[in-house]
Amino acid sequence: MAEPLLKITNLHAEIAEDGTEILKGVDLQLNAGEIHAIMGPNGSGKSTLSKVISGHPAYEVTDGDILLRGESVLDMQPDERARAGVFLAFQYPVEIPGVSVANLMRTALNAKRGEEVDIFDFQEELEGRMAMLEMDPAFAQRSVNDGFSGGEKKRNEILQLAMLEPTLAVMDETDSGLDIDALKIVTAGINKIKAERQDMAVLLITHYQRMLNYITPDRVHVMVDGRIIRSGGAELALELEERGYDWVREEVSA
Amino acid sequence: MSDTSTAITPADVGVFTRDQVEMLTARKLETDWLREQRMRAHAVFADTPMPSTRLEDWRYTDIKKLLRLDAFSFAEERVPVGDAEGLLAGLRARVDEAGEASARLAQVDASVVLRELPDDLAAQGVIFTSLEAAAREHPELVQKHFGTAVTPDDGKFAALSSAFWTGGAFLYVPKDVQVEVPFRVYRWIGEGGTAALGRLLVVAEAGARVAVVEELGSDDLGKAALSVGAAEIFADDSAVVVYTQVQRYGRGVVHLATDRLVAGRDAKITTLYTSVGADVSRADVQCRLVAPGSHVDMLGLYIADGTQHFDNQTLQDHVAPHASSNLLFKGALNDTGRSVFRGLIRVHPKAQRTDAYQTNRNLILSDGARADSLPNLEIQADDVRCSHAATVGQLDEEEVFYLLSRGIPKPQAVRLVVFGFFGEVLEQLPLEGVRQELLRVVERKLAPSL
Repeated sequence: MAEPLLKITNLHAEIAEDGTEILKGVDLQLNAGEIHAIMGPNGSGKSTLSKVISGHPAYEVTDGDILLRGESVLDMQPDERARAGVFLAFQYPVEIPGVSVANLMRTALNAKRGEEVDIFDFQEELEGRMAMLEMDPAFAQRSVNDGFSGGEKKRNEILQLAMLEPTLAVMDETDSGLDIDALKIVTAGINKIKAERQDMAVLLITHYQRMLNYITPDRVHVMVDGRIIRSGGAELALELEERGYDWVREEVSA
Repeated sequence: MSDTSTAITPADVGVFTRDQVEMLTARKLETDWLREQRMRAHAVFADTPMPSTRLEDWRYTDIKKLLRLDAFSFAEERVPVGDAEGLLAGLRARVDEAGEASARLAQVDASVVLRELPDDLAAQGVIFTSLEAAAREHPELVQKHFGTAVTPDDGKFAALSSAFWTGGAFLYVPKDVQVEVPFRVYRWIGEGGTAALGRLLVVAEAGARVAVVEELGSDDLGKAALSVGAAEIFADDSAVVVYTQVQRYGRGVVHLATDRLVAGRDAKITTLYTSVGADVSRADVQCRLVAPGSHVDMLGLYIADGTQHFDNQTLQDHVAPHASSNLLFKGALNDTGRSVFRGLIRVHPKAQRTDAYQTNRNLILSDGARADSLPNLEIQADDVRCSHAATVGQLDEEEVFYLLSRGIPKPQAVRLVVFGFFGEVLEQLPLEGVRQELLRVVERKLAPSL
């Protein structure tokens, strides 16, 4: 069998500042092209997992490993991980005043390709992607996330996902703060990107099942208290929606 | 363009003596009025000790340590050139890389060597020439304004400027004449070990509209050089004036500017001071709002690295009621770079209904860097809206991480965030072309240091 794209083994991580352990032995395996959802109650550590995969400096890995195509990423800086194919769609996209969306995208693409992208090709690609996400072209010249509405911020994350073409997309609560129309646009965008790039794996981190009405996962994992306590098919999400997280919690401890 | 005469040998000058003023004014065949101005200024200069750090406005800039006036000889006279092609290579590169210009004037060391003014502007009554020439050819205009906003009492270096300035630029825009494309003034120091004392006088009559970009530059000089500047800018009723100073001196230069701007009724002045060059650079800038309806935007941008030391002293001087002013100065400090910002909003007793705001923000990029920020209010009227804010902080880690997570390497990510930090200043400059030029200046400055 081929090497899994992402393999997380016994991952322990704590908040670097105060040593509070958040991840307490996460195991997860994701093959190229698969869509997995991680669901869990607030405070279960699912957002932390996404940040640790991307290498956020606020967290320290104390045990276990994260392998991307068999190679540990733990010694890689966040930008190196990104160039190796990891993309994190932020739950709360950061505002960067004075840096335009176009400037960010061009700089990121230059870094990824190791050469200056052709400015006309770039413009065309950016405009095409923005049209796909029903974004006003004027967005390209606006400062990154600065003064964006919640929906605009999330669309901007998907725009970057489309432009950067990662092999692994980690979507941290991309559905949060979206009304139903925005959710449809965002999930349609993800589905289109996925259809174009069959090998891209997606790790959807979400509290609610509703996003999974639009994106069908191959696997669903339930995370509670820093561990994945149960995994199953798409139907597990529906069961969780119906019965709540306490049900799994009880079942596992029973 | 005929300011040629016997060069003064360094031995004659250097110490800025009274005899030197006599020689200077005699050699330039100046009028009694100008001669007396210089002599009066010299008397104040001679009586004023070098500022010590005991003075509040020099507290963080130990100028006695940073500058020895007797170390310099007077900058030499230079012969005029026919066109920009004849300029020194470094200066020519600056002229070439600049965007469009209504007209250009360049001073090298002690002399204005290039002056261009299109006929159509001259036909509208615009005067753009060396201040020396203007004093001869337009004595009434010059006497009415020159030395009225910057006086010898504005400090040791204002007095020095008033006694020893040479060359200089004079721009006069008659009533209701509106020129959208900026006038460009260049001041270039060609030699280390010298003191260059340029000067600027801008008069915008009622309803006039004008923009001036003044660029100060030199190559990196092996020896220290001194640049002493003074600008006087007058915006009469309803005039709109934009003044941008771009200080891009090479290392080795100490630059000291004393600038005064006066806004008349319903006039609007925007200033932007960009400091990236020199070893030590200080701008003492005061805007006086002397009539109702006037508005002033004061902008500043500074990036210090190595051992650079930048000092900005600002005053928003609200003399008249119903006027408004807004100040935003932002700086980034790397290595052991230092900055001082000391800003005052002063509202005189009669200046009711004043709106005045002042913000200074500093980004500290390394452990050895330091920024001192001292905002202040002095309000003597009761019906005003005024505020000030000052911050000294580090880079936002979350912003940097966001960029890293997009695959952008750290030095570049930091550069982008810092670049963005200055965007707020530049976007307020109402000159799109110049804004783009300054973005490149900022980019170039950040490139090697981060």
